[in-house]
Amino acid sequence: MIFDLWHKTKYSYEHGASFCHNITTIKPKSFAGQTLLDYHLEITPTPTDISERLDFFGNSVTRFSIQQHHKELVVIARSIVERNYEEQFDEVQFLKAKKVTVAETKAHLKQIDSEIIDVRQFVMPSPLITNGNENIAAYASLSFKPERSFYEATYELMQRIYTDFDFVPGFTNIATPLKEVMAAKKGVCQDFAQIAIACVRSMGLPAKYVSGYIETVPPEGKEKLIGTDASHAWFSVYIPTYGWVDFDPTNNQIPKNQHIVVAHGRDYYDVPPLKGVIYSMGKNTMEVSVDLRPATSYLNQMHSQSQQ
Amino acid sequence: MKTLTKTLFENYFSASSGYDELLTSKMGIKENWKVLSQNLLKIGSENLALKQTEINWLLAENGVTYNVYNDPKGLNRPWDLNVVPYIIHQKEWKGVEKGIQQRAELLNLILKDLYGKRDLLKNGIIPPELIYAHSGFLRACDQIQYKKSKQLSVYAADLARGPDGRLWVVNDRTQAPSGMGYALENRFSTSKIIPELYTDINVTQPSNFFNDFNQLLLNSASNNTESPMIVVLTPGPHNETYFEHSYLSSFLGYPLVKGNDLVVRHGKVWLKSLNGLKQIDVILRRIDDTFMDPLELREDSYLGVAGLLEAVRLQNVTIINPIGSGVLENPALVPFMENICKYFLDEELILPQIASWWCGQEKERKHVLADLPSFVLKRIDRSNRERIYFCEFLDKKALENLKKEILDYPYKFVAQEKISFSTAPNFVSTHLEPRKILCRTFAIAKEDSYSVMPGGLVRVAPEREELFVSNQRGGTSKDFWIVNDVPQANLQNYSWNKTSSSPATGLNDVPSNTAENLFWSGRYIGRALVTARYLRMVLSQMTHAQYTDRKPESESLKILFQSITKITSTFPGFMSENDEVLNNPLLEIKDIILDDTKIGSFAQSMQSFSSSYYALRNLWSRDMWRVFDGIQKHIKNLKKEESYSVYKLTNFFDKIITRLIAFMTLTEESILVRQGLLLYFIGLQLEIGAMNIEKFRALLIVNYDEELEYEILESLLNSHESLNIYRYSYNSYLSLENVLNLIILDKEYSRSLTYQMHRLKKDIDKLPKINTTNELTVCQNNINMVISKMESLNVKEMLVVDPESNMRKNLDNSLSELSDLLHTTSLSISNTYFNHSQPQKQLVNRNITT
Repeated sequence: MIFDLWHKTKYSYEHGASFCHNITTIKPKSFAGQTLLDYHLEITPTPTDISERLDFFGNSVTRFSIQQHHKELVVIARSIVERNYEEQFDEVQFLKAKKVTVAETKAHLKQIDSEIIDVRQFVMPSPLITNGNENIAAYASLSFKPERSFYEATYELMQRIYTDFDFVPGFTNIATPLKEVMAAKKGVCQDFAQIAIACVRSMGLPAKYVSGYIETVPPEGKEKLIGTDASHAWFSVYIPTYGWVDFDPTNNQIPKNQHIVVAHGRDYYDVPPLKGVIYSMGKNTMEVSVDLRPATSYLNQMHSQSQQ
Repeated sequence: MKTLTKTLFENYFSASSGYDELLTSKMGIKENWKVLSQNLLKIGSENLALKQTEINWLLAENGVTYNVYNDPKGLNRPWDLNVVPYIIHQKEWKGVEKGIQQRAELLNLILKDLYGKRDLLKNGIIPPELIYAHSGFLRACDQIQYKKSKQLSVYAADLARGPDGRLWVVNDRTQAPSGMGYALENRFSTSKIIPELYTDINVTQPSNFFNDFNQLLLNSASNNTESPMIVVLTPGPHNETYFEHSYLSSFLGYPLVKGNDLVVRHGKVWLKSLNGLKQIDVILRRIDDTFMDPLELREDSYLGVAGLLEAVRLQNVTIINPIGSGVLENPALVPFMENICKYFLDEELILPQIASWWCGQEKERKHVLADLPSFVLKRIDRSNRERIYFCEFLDKKALENLKKEILDYPYKFVAQEKISFSTAPNFVSTHLEPRKILCRTFAIAKEDSYSVMPGGLVRVAPEREELFVSNQRGGTSKDFWIVNDVPQANLQNYSWNKTSSSPATGLNDVPSNTAENLFWSGRYIGRALVTARYLRMVLSQMTHAQYTDRKPESESLKILFQSITKITSTFPGFMSENDEVLNNPLLEIKDIILDDTKIGSFAQSMQSFSSSYYALRNLWSRDMWRVFDGIQKHIKNLKKEESYSVYKLTNFFDKIITRLIAFMTLTEESILVRQGLLLYFIGLQLEIGAMNIEKFRALLIVNYDEELEYEILESLLNSHESLNIYRYSYNSYLSLENVLNLIILDKEYSRSLTYQMHRLKKDIDKLPKINTTNELTVCQNNINMVISKMESLNVKEMLVVDPESNMRKNLDNSLSELSDLLHTTSLSISNTYFNHSQPQKQLVNRNITT
């Protein structure tokens, strides 16, 4: 499946900004099962300097600065991504991994091995998933029993979050503490991902945050509108003998060909799509629009529109 | 000798328990301390007390302070230095020096590894949680490596003598260690006040060490190695060790800057100076790691520079120490240091450390929890202020809480063995007392090793049995002597070759924020002074008119009242349609003095002055601070008064004006023109000039009858402090023509407008030129227009009265034109030289996911 991905972020500054430094984490990753075929980052006004590098977690980040006075900043990331879950999924290994229990996972983490040492940082608190919360641990403990399969337990946790939590945009923002989300059982995908991560970590197990996109399918018989999608987030747990396995608690499913992975981190703090420091007076506002659709249909549509 | 011993050393022997630096186990005096003890006895207890007072006085005089948060003594606590030094013999120190060098090298290698290959984690030498859970491990700094041989440039170790008689390492400081400047100041103070203390003692001087430090800074630049531009970065005057930042900056001769003096453009760091942007090669920073870059580190930091980390990555700037080195300030590394030392160097650790158990390991955790009260518990990082739990003093509940926290986050805690460190003699009012001490010494990267300061900073516990030694909690310090059997070169020469760094101290390099604050300090204090003098003059006219007895029928008083409103721009005031104001003038005058919400009021000028002043405190002397404090107190007291009389207000201004003038004189003698005082003068002259013009316009334009004119002219000269000069110069009845000649046209008289404008021109001509061409700057063009306008003035023309309006229109037009020209000049200075950056903000970051 080939996708055409279009992600536009627009900042408007009431009285203009004299200068800004920014960092974006919006370039989709390439790995077995996902290939970035084409990528183009368009920034207006044109940055004075721009550079790209890999961060600590192996994500591609782009830093740029604009040194002229501007009233608007527009960042458009355009990607062509091929997704092929079959290449990512190893059924034989997976059947074995499904049997690994919670207790076995914990024992396995005690090894000294370069990969495990990296995994161990995802057991510890992180900037937005800080202190242990008894409610979270209690919630998690219903699914995670020592002799139970780690995969099954996580799958059940995902299902429970999907059932117990309400999807309510606007109830939370990135500064809302997890315990409030836990108490209200309301939020959006990034809250659900972070609740899940907090649950898994409260059991002493490794979980990380995944930022990306999901293809939304329009109601039957309706044409999909451009720009109605958004960034998405889910979580991933490390299962010994297999590796990282993704779970999407917002949609109650294992991410496959409809999910595009952009970045991994300990939580949202490590991988915000765009952050920056600006020098300006007055209010600033932001608009985001994302469009993710099969490349062929997108191209066809563009084609038919240009003929009108 | 015996009797003397009695007073000075009285009780010392009995008071001492545990290991003492001075005493042998048989209650004798140790060999090392014998000469010093004799010197102390010779000086005698009474003299020592005098010397101690002198030292306190000298330190206060030099403005040596240490800021303690929430300290009742106020923000600037005077630095305490005890008259009795601490000594260690060179023979012992040699070994310590080797140990410090080894430890500095180890920490350097750890730093390199943690932000590089992380072999220490991969090979199981350090458990990963010990690093990953430490808030000083900054993922944004991953893979940043300097080209130089050492990543860690400056290292400070806290040492204390353990029960075995050896010096142990108690703390490692690697981010921005403080104390070097205090150590140096301590040495200067003791050798100045009590040279007799050094009799027959050979003390090693730290001059070579500071030379090495300066060389390190010079060699740290990765580009521009010919003439690197070096700055000292401070969080500002509120920081506890701000004195030291400004001290080191002037001692080493590099500008002291704050984060907003710097900017990152094109991946390079620039200083916003009077002469435009200057590229910075090396930053000696006194700001903690996470505050250094609000883009990649703490978003809420206003102390750092956005984009700095990228400039570091590109190797366009060197930060000393590198950002991220706080990861080494980790007491949980202690139990692993032996293994790390074997791993990297295949050596044994030279310096002993406190036995420690990291709770992230099961066996160690069990050991600690089994007998918690016998340990000292620390967190592995200093997320806030350093928190130490002396468990033996904790009650049951506190112990339970701590236990729970350890079980929740075991890898966050490290337990240390409880140790009683040694005591050393401290002079307390009349005698010596044994006090616990902690020595901080410093190492500087030099070629392939480290250069260690001979001595350092010794801190003394505030009370006899105090366990905790830290300046943050009060306490005193000591000079730290390394003594030798043979005489040392008594070299205290710090005028090393500065390479091409010397231009860094010129007017061109004054940070533009400093320049702007100086300019506004000048303007506001000028405004305050002119306002104060004018109000005092009006108040005194009110007494003459026996205002207290009858209504102000006097026409001259009415004119004066209205002129106050015009000069201070506090409209409507006395220009109001409402007669009430004129009927009760004292009320309005009181408001113009005390209402700081009223733009143009005296209180408001003083308030604006204070805020510019505060930002510059490193430049002002201690006396200035005292005088300034006095001014603030008088204003505060006046505010508290229940009623106001002409007498009270006059009295207030008498005091204030004297102090303002004292303050201005102190300013002129305490700050160098090349430190930016030029901008203060420019601001001052501009403001006084502009205020005088307003004064003339308010009083001299209308043509009054002779008697009234006389009164007005007298008042004007009075407020201008020129009445005596007038009488001396003209020896005649007051005439407008002569007054204009004296206060506007006179070329020699320092209070005349012409004189003031020429002085302003002279100063503006000295401002740096951004373009090196010989063209005049906009500012110069503007002031030249002022001067030519002044020169075109003709007294006869100015005197002409327009019969229709009964006003001197020519005079009014000329003054109004001059006022506009001055305003343009001021704006052009602000536009050309000051930093107009807008406030720093984070991009809006709202929830954008589904």
